[in-house]
Amino acid sequence: MRNFRTATISIVGGLLVAASAFAADVQMNIKPELISLLDRSLLTIEFIDGNGNAVEIPEVDGLNIQYQGQSSETRIVNFKSSSKVIHKYLITPSKVGDYTIGPITAQYKGGEKELAGQLRVIKPEDDAEAQKVSEIMFSRITSDRDSPHVHEPFGLELKVFIRDGVQIDGNFGIRGGMPESGMDGELQWKVSGRERTDMNDSIFNVYTLRTTAKTLTAGTFSFQPQVQLNVIIPRQQRRSWGFDDPFFGDMFGRQETRPFTLDCNRLDLDVRAVPMERRPDTFTGGVGIFDFDVEVGPKKVKAGEPITVKIRIAGKGNLTKITPPLIEESHEFKLYDARSVPTDKPNEVRFEQVLIPKSGTVTNIPAISFSYFNTTTTDFRTISQGPFPVQVEDVPQQTAQVIATVPSTIQQETKILGRDIIYLKPSPKRWRFKADTTWYRTRLFNVILILPALLLILISIITSRKNKLAGNVALARRQKAPKAARRNVQRAEQVMRQGDATGFYEALWDALTEYFGHRLNLAPGEVTLVAVTAKVPKNASELENLFHTIEQRRYGIQSAESSKDEMKLLLREFTATLKACERRKL
Amino acid sequence: MKKLTSLALVLLTVVLASVASENTFSSAQAAYDDGRYAEAIMLYNKLLDDGVDNLEVHYNLANAYFKDSDLASAVWHYRKAWYDAPRDPDIRANFHFALNAAGAIESQPSITEKIVTTLSLSEWIMVAVGGYLLLTVLLATALLVKTDRRNTLKLCMIPILLVLISAAGWWHWNQHHLNQEWVVVQTEATALFGPVKGSTAHYKLPLAALVRQRNADSKGWVEVEYDGKRGWLQTRYISRVSP
Repeated sequence: MRNFRTATISIVGGLLVAASAFAADVQMNIKPELISLLDRSLLTIEFIDGNGNAVEIPEVDGLNIQYQGQSSETRIVNFKSSSKVIHKYLITPSKVGDYTIGPITAQYKGGEKELAGQLRVIKPEDDAEAQKVSEIMFSRITSDRDSPHVHEPFGLELKVFIRDGVQIDGNFGIRGGMPESGMDGELQWKVSGRERTDMNDSIFNVYTLRTTAKTLTAGTFSFQPQVQLNVIIPRQQRRSWGFDDPFFGDMFGRQETRPFTLDCNRLDLDVRAVPMERRPDTFTGGVGIFDFDVEVGPKKVKAGEPITVKIRIAGKGNLTKITPPLIEESHEFKLYDARSVPTDKPNEVRFEQVLIPKSGTVTNIPAISFSYFNTTTTDFRTISQGPFPVQVEDVPQQTAQVIATVPSTIQQETKILGRDIIYLKPSPKRWRFKADTTWYRTRLFNVILILPALLLILISIITSRKNKLAGNVALARRQKAPKAARRNVQRAEQVMRQGDATGFYEALWDALTEYFGHRLNLAPGEVTLVAVTAKVPKNASELENLFHTIEQRRYGIQSAESSKDEMKLLLREFTATLKACERRKL
Repeated sequence: MKKLTSLALVLLTVVLASVASENTFSSAQAAYDDGRYAEAIMLYNKLLDDGVDNLEVHYNLANAYFKDSDLASAVWHYRKAWYDAPRDPDIRANFHFALNAAGAIESQPSITEKIVTTLSLSEWIMVAVGGYLLLTVLLATALLVKTDRRNTLKLCMIPILLVLISAAGWWHWNQHHLNQEWVVVQTEATALFGPVKGSTAHYKLPLAALVRQRNADSKGWVEVEYDGKRGWLQTRYISRVSP
C-alpha cells in the first residue's frame, strides 16, 4: 500500500515537472518591424515561465543595438499563473535597408532555441534622398592652430549640420571622442551662432560651437567629438482613442525626442613641446604673448619694514600656469614667498611678494625678469623691469622684531603655485618586503596584546577577593581555618617525634579550637563540644571522641596503650575528622 | 649551534638584500635625474619584483611613469603609496597633479573620510593599541587605588574614545577590501548600464581615472562608481590598486 502511494506521488510529481518544462518557452519580438531612418525599434527576448540571462546580440551593419535592461511580468488567468522575464534592446538604424537580426541561441528552462527577427528601415517621409543618417545630420571640427605648443590656448570650432526640415530641441552634448588625457581641464563648449547654408543641393541649418583648449603634454591629440542631439519626431505608434486626426495629433503634442549621435571628422593636432634649448633661467612656464609690469612700494621705509613688489602679467596664453618671476636673493634683505592676488580682469595674473630690508645699506631692489615662450615667433622672450631705487633708514635695534612678526600673515595667504610634480623621495631607512608579516599580524603581537587583559583580570580577581574578605569576617575566618589547623598539626607532629606528649596534646587542642573557632566564627572561649557538634551534627561522634581524648590527656588521664602509638592513631583520626569537616558545607 | 648558523644566514641574506635594493634604488634615481625615465621605471619595477614594498619605491616609480607620460600607471602607484602614508603632502600633491593632467575627476572626500584618512591602517591600529593599554592601566589603577576612583573611571572615557575612533579608522580602511579601488588603464573605457556587452553606454571614463568598486559579477564585469555615477565595466579596462 505504501509502495503504491509513493509511486503515485512520484508519477504526479514527474508529470508536473514535465508539464512545467513543456510550458517554458523563449521568444524574440521586434516592434515595429517597419521603421523610417529617423525612427527606432524595440527588440525583446521573452523567457516565458522561466528565467533567462540577457543574450548578446551580434553586431549588424547599419544598426546600433543597445541593451536596455530587463523586466518581469506575472499574470494570473483562471487561477493559473504564468510569468515572463523580458530583456529589452533598442535598435537605432543608421542607414536604410532590410535587416535580419540573428540567429542567436537562447538557453531557457526547456533547452535551447534559435531566435531571429526581421527589420525594414525605409527613407524618412520628408527626405526621399537620404540613405543614411549621416547624410541628414553630421558635424565637422576645425582648429585655429595647426600645431600649438604645450600650455598654449587654441580655439576649436565644431559645426553641426542639420538638414532643413529636421527638427531638433537645440540641446547639444559631447559624449566622447575627445583626448582622454593630457588636456588642461574639461572643455566648455558654447553655441556661438546659427546660419543656413547650401550643400550638395540641400539646405542645412548650421550650429557653431566654440571652445578654447590647452594641453599639459606634447604629442598628437585627436579630436573626433561624438555630438549628441535630440531630434523631434512624430510618434509612430499611437493608442487609438478616436483622436487619430492630425489636428489632434498636433494639438496633443504627439511627438517625441530621440537622441542621435552624429558622425564627425577626426582632427589630429600635433602639440609641440616648449623647447629646452636656449630656455632662460628666468622662464617660469609662460607660453603665449604677454606684457609684464612691476610696481614696488613703499619706496621709503625703515630697516625691518616690509616692501611689497607687485607683479602683473597680462596677455594671451597660459596665465594660470605661470609661476611668479624670481627676485634675486640677497643677504641684505629677507624675501618671502610670492602669493597670487585675485584680479577682475580675465587676461591677467597678479602676484605680490614681500621683502624686508635688514639694514640701511639697501639702496635698490634688483631688476626682475620675466621670460616666456612666444608662440608667434616660437622663441623665448625676456622682459626686465627695474632695478627699483628705495630709501631704507637704518634702525638696528628693531630689525629682528619686525622680521619676526611679518611672516605669519604673509605665509597664511601664500598659495601653492605648482607647475610640476614634486621630486623623488630619498632611499628608505629600512627596506620592507612583501613577504614580511605586518607587525600587527605577528603572533608575538597577539600574545602581548592578551597580557594586559589577563593582568587586569588577575588584579580584578585579587581585589574582588580582598574586598569580599574585608567586608565579611566570617568568610575571612573560614578561609583562615585550614591554615590554622595545618600549622598546629605540623607542630603536633614535630613534638610527637620529640616524644613530648604534653606538647602534642596542647598542639592538637590548639588545632581543634583554632580550626572550629575560625570555621564557625566563634570567640576562643566559645569553642566547646556542644557548640561544635550543634553545627556539625554528622561528625558528632568523631568530634566527641576527639574532644574527650584530647582533654583527658591534657589533664593527665593516661590510656592503657603505648603513648606514642596512641598519639599516632589520634593524629590520624584528628586529621581525618578535620578533613571530613572541611569538605562539609556548614 | 645549528640554530645560530641559521640565524646568521638569515641575517646575512637580509643585509645582502638591503644592499642590493639600495644600489638599485640609487641607480633608478640617477636614471631619473638624467631623464632616462624608461630605465628608471625598469629599475624601480625590478625592486618591486624583488619583493620590496616601500612607499618610496611606489612614489618614485609613479614620478618616473608620470615623466614617461604613462599617467595611468603613475596614478596607480601614487595611490599605492598613499595607502601607507595618507598624510604625505608630496604623494597627495603629485596624485592630484597626475589626475588633473589625465583629465580625471578626483572625488571630494567627506569630512568623516578626511578624518579617518589622516592616519593609515597601521597607525590606527597603533592608536587603538595605545588606547587599549591606557584603558588597562587606568582600570588597574581604579581597582588598586581606592582614592579618587571616580575621576580615574572618568578618565577611562579618553582611551575608550580613542579605541572607538580607531575602530572607525579601521572600518574605513577595511572598506578598501570590500569596495576596492581600481585605476582605468585602457583607453575607450565606457561604463554601461548593465553587465552585458552591447548594453547602453552610461558614461566614459578617462584613462587614469580612480574608480571605486560597488558590485561585481562572475563574468569579469565590475560595477564602478566615478564622479557620483555607477556603471558596469569589464575588468580588462581597469587595474585593482587596493591592497
